[in-house]
Amino acid sequence: MNATAETSVTATTAPPEDRIPFVEEIKNLLYASKGNPISTCIQCGTCSATCPVASGGFMDNSPRRIIAMIRSGFKEQVLKSNTFWYCASCYQCTVRCPRGIDIAELMYGLKRFTVWRTEHQEGLIGPTFSETFVKMIMRTGRSYEPVLATTYLFTYGLPEMILEAQTATSLMLKGRLPLLPARIKRLENFKRMIRHIIPIGDKE
Amino acid sequence: MNQTKKLLIIDDDPDFVAGMKSILVKANYEVDVAYNPKDGLQALQTKPYDLLLLDIMMGRGAEGIMIARKLGKDPKLRNLPVLIITGIREQMAFLFPGQAVHPHFVAVDELVEKPVEPKLLLEKVEALLKTAEARKGQSK
Repeated sequence: MNATAETSVTATTAPPEDRIPFVEEIKNLLYASKGNPISTCIQCGTCSATCPVASGGFMDNSPRRIIAMIRSGFKEQVLKSNTFWYCASCYQCTVRCPRGIDIAELMYGLKRFTVWRTEHQEGLIGPTFSETFVKMIMRTGRSYEPVLATTYLFTYGLPEMILEAQTATSLMLKGRLPLLPARIKRLENFKRMIRHIIPIGDKE
Repeated sequence: MNQTKKLLIIDDDPDFVAGMKSILVKANYEVDVAYNPKDGLQALQTKPYDLLLLDIMMGRGAEGIMIARKLGKDPKLRNLPVLIITGIREQMAFLFPGQAVHPHFVAVDELVEKPVEPKLLLEKVEALLKTAEARKGQSK
């Protein structure tokens, strides 16, 4: 009795996104893609076997597993997974999929899905990097590697940090890494133009 | 309860609007259309609607975001459910500091990507209307 009452309450007050099967939402992300829908996946594992990141052991769930999880409605686990943020966009999975599913596009779709809803896993390099990059372009019109790199440098251990610093120093000595951030000419005009196109919102 | 729901579409792409409108009309919704943000805002202020379907990139830029923000500040329109339908493929949510899509622009909003599968469009519209109604019932 209580259980029924509880279910009916959640059915009426649940946010709209919880009323629609997760797989439907994800299917829509690939609606415009040339590939087949994920419901055609045969779980052969070619995508995971061919993925340089998954076979390197960086992903918590392989692409094959992510597809299975989406189809089974494991929404929370999928959104909190790091799989799509670690995707290197090499498109090997898309090229080799025997069912013609555009898996790389699915990874992009999942990134957008979580970014719009700010539901991605905390502490990942991917979203922080994207955010810093986009905001930097808006501010200076150019990307500046030393700032971009430091956004995720601290997530590494000390040996990796020293290694990165050595690489940066040698790049700098060769003149491949600028010391000062590059700024474009007529930056104010550029900023005004961007503000016309994208209402960035109030200053933080 | 069984009254025909009135929806408003604000989108500058006439072909997409025609497609969406025919799907919604067939599902027994009453649909009004505004092809630019200015007309859309005027329609919202003059007529009562049960749901708004809103595009983001219109006119000079992301004017849909402007509308959503205005709705959020308007005490009368704050409770109007909004379905944002966008063709944006870039990770642009970062560009709206402090005002990303979630936390919400208005009390009930949702986002889907263009093109929308007809079935999903109808499901989303229905779900948003139901959620808005449940909220209304709770506040009474």
